[in-house]
Amino acid sequence: MRNFFYSTMQWSRLQRNRNLAIQGVFLFFVIIFGLYLIFQAFELEISLSHFSSRAGFGLSHTFLTDYTSNDSRWNAYFTGVINTIRVCLVAILLTTILGTIMGVARLSKNFLISRIAWIYVEVLRNTPLLIQIIFWQIIFLQLPHISKAITFGSTSAISNRGILLPWMSTNTNGQLWLIFMGIIALASLSLSYFFNKREDKTGKRASILGFSISGNLLGILIFGLIGVITFFAFGQPLSLDFPLIHQNTKGTWLQSGGFELSPEFSAILFALVIYTGTFITEIVRGSIQALSKGQTEAAQAIGLSNYQVTSLVVLPQALRSIIPPLTNQYLNLTKNSSLAVVIAYPDLFMVSRTIMNNSGHALPVFFLILFTYLTLSLFISIVMNLINRRVTRIGT
Amino acid sequence: MKNFKSLLVLFSLVSFAAFSFACASEDDSASTASSGSTLEQVLERGTLKCGVNDNLTGFGVVTPSGAFEGFDIDFCKAVAAAVLGDSSKVEYTPTTASNRFEALGSGEIDLLIRNTTWTASRDRELAQDFTVATFYDGQGMMVYADSGYNSIDDMEGATVCVLQGTTTELNLDDRFTGTGMSYTPLTFETNDPLQAAFEEKRCDGWTTDKSGLASKRAEFPESAGGPSALKVLPETLSKEPLGPLTRDNDSEFYDVVQWVVFGMMQAEESGISSSNVAQMAANPSNPGMARLLGASFEGGEVQDFSFGIPKDFMQKVISQVGNYGEVYDRHLVPLGLERAGSLNAQWTEGGLIYAPPFR
Repeated sequence: MRNFFYSTMQWSRLQRNRNLAIQGVFLFFVIIFGLYLIFQAFELEISLSHFSSRAGFGLSHTFLTDYTSNDSRWNAYFTGVINTIRVCLVAILLTTILGTIMGVARLSKNFLISRIAWIYVEVLRNTPLLIQIIFWQIIFLQLPHISKAITFGSTSAISNRGILLPWMSTNTNGQLWLIFMGIIALASLSLSYFFNKREDKTGKRASILGFSISGNLLGILIFGLIGVITFFAFGQPLSLDFPLIHQNTKGTWLQSGGFELSPEFSAILFALVIYTGTFITEIVRGSIQALSKGQTEAAQAIGLSNYQVTSLVVLPQALRSIIPPLTNQYLNLTKNSSLAVVIAYPDLFMVSRTIMNNSGHALPVFFLILFTYLTLSLFISIVMNLINRRVTRIGT
Repeated sequence: MKNFKSLLVLFSLVSFAAFSFACASEDDSASTASSGSTLEQVLERGTLKCGVNDNLTGFGVVTPSGAFEGFDIDFCKAVAAAVLGDSSKVEYTPTTASNRFEALGSGEIDLLIRNTTWTASRDRELAQDFTVATFYDGQGMMVYADSGYNSIDDMEGATVCVLQGTTTELNLDDRFTGTGMSYTPLTFETNDPLQAAFEEKRCDGWTTDKSGLASKRAEFPESAGGPSALKVLPETLSKEPLGPLTRDNDSEFYDVVQWVVFGMMQAEESGISSSNVAQMAANPSNPGMARLLGASFEGGEVQDFSFGIPKDFMQKVISQVGNYGEVYDRHLVPLGLERAGSLNAQWTEGGLIYAPPFR
């Protein structure tokens, strides 16, 4: 026994041996802790089988799907996913336009314009998004009540139940026609592409009846011509659908037809667009300023107008350094859309939380939410990386 | 130095592991925190710890002066008056909807009276006992008085504001889809944005428990028309009996709470109120009244129910707090919760307020 103690003392004299012993003990506890976690995980129920049962709750925004409370929880969930994608897609589009305009305006020589852009950025970038969302909701609720809706003839109506705009309605022929026109659009695009390429290479232009004509115009002409002819051939498949506000016999105000922008959708859309727009403004401004001044001067020297300088020389080059940080903003916007829950817009997060509450299975639903947001974010990243690769290749 | 660092890491890891194991076994010991009868503890301590709501007008709310008042609060006072002889010997603990059951289970409070609905899962799974329903609530629908709706059947196509993830949301859908009516639910996460939307008439109806609706209606701002601009439709969508809870396996205290409430109901039925209780006790008009008040009927022996508290406990409850009807009139009538014709009327008038006999 004494001998063993003595040899252990001897062994521990070496720094290397002592470290080894400590690491061994460390590893032991890590393994125990890991096993503990695994055993705990086995006790949890992580199946999503309850998603196929009846949802039992209604949703106020059902876009593209005909969701009713009789559908399964999966259907409710996908309605939520579509609502999220819908608001993100529109918001990304609008915020890019807003950010670009404001970014250019920020550098304008016109004092008023550059100040407006500056105030926009500083005020809206520095207030919390959640408060902005609630602010916009209150603004949209201040619109007149539906019984006193502002109407423009019978074409559109504005009330705090929603902004109604004219929209197209299709019959069965209409969907066929839309698919057909999609194919025609692709065909005329590739036609334009072919003629443009040929013009670049050989200088030969397409000509119709002796008139020389550019590839772009040719494509548009063909698309328009076929469109008009088939529109009548299919028996006018599209018609304008005007919104209608009326009262039923019990006095409930109803709105039907047209395209509806609900106050909730508008509020979350406005907040996301305007808030994210401030960051994009700064990204655009920074990228333009990072560009060598010689580019602008050279463009001015060859007599381009201010608009041409910006659109043909400055922005295309600035785009290279805009895209990567822009991707971040798109991802932020998508993740921020989950704040919609506070103003009753049934996005993916809100619908899954309701399901979570009703079923009592919190963990698997949370995994599903995380997985869905991850998928959306990765999709945006992939698309933006493709665009980035294309943009950086030009002119190098 | 390097050695010291690794020792530190090791130490923190060991303590972390120990902590996680400790957490795993914690829930077994939570419910056994209190030992002995709650009644003995209350008598020994000299105060009653009552878990209440502090933010629901009419049921439990803190007044500007810092005192608690409301329908639920009065039942806390009644139990204190019965057990300790003084209705002011109550320590109020404000609880939230999510922590209320833990507060009772852990022994932090003796009694929970916080507009809590009696359900099977709560009675069994939470190891707590519902004593008796003091208020029969139910989900209702509030609309604007000028809307022309007289029943939910009139609300075809209406937009309804509702809180998210509640049974209220599911009951609402059952009611509308069950009768083949279309509607649009506007589902909010919290009450404040919901009220903002309702004030601007973004929705035609607002649904939650009727007591909650009455409370919100009473507080409805004058700028939006005040309480008179709103009405609660007579229909009830669900059963929500509210009442006091005690811990499981605590029969002595459970019986005291239950019979204090029954006593208040019986007092109203027998016509005993805080104003006439002293003279009724001095000279009970029949043996039943004498048994309830713990008084002697024409010199006979006083009935003792062996609750472990003074025989005349109901005298103190009624003189200090009042009978069931007085408590109701004091707190719930101002909210507009009319009693006549509702489930909360005495059984003799077609309601459900019914006390078993004091015998």
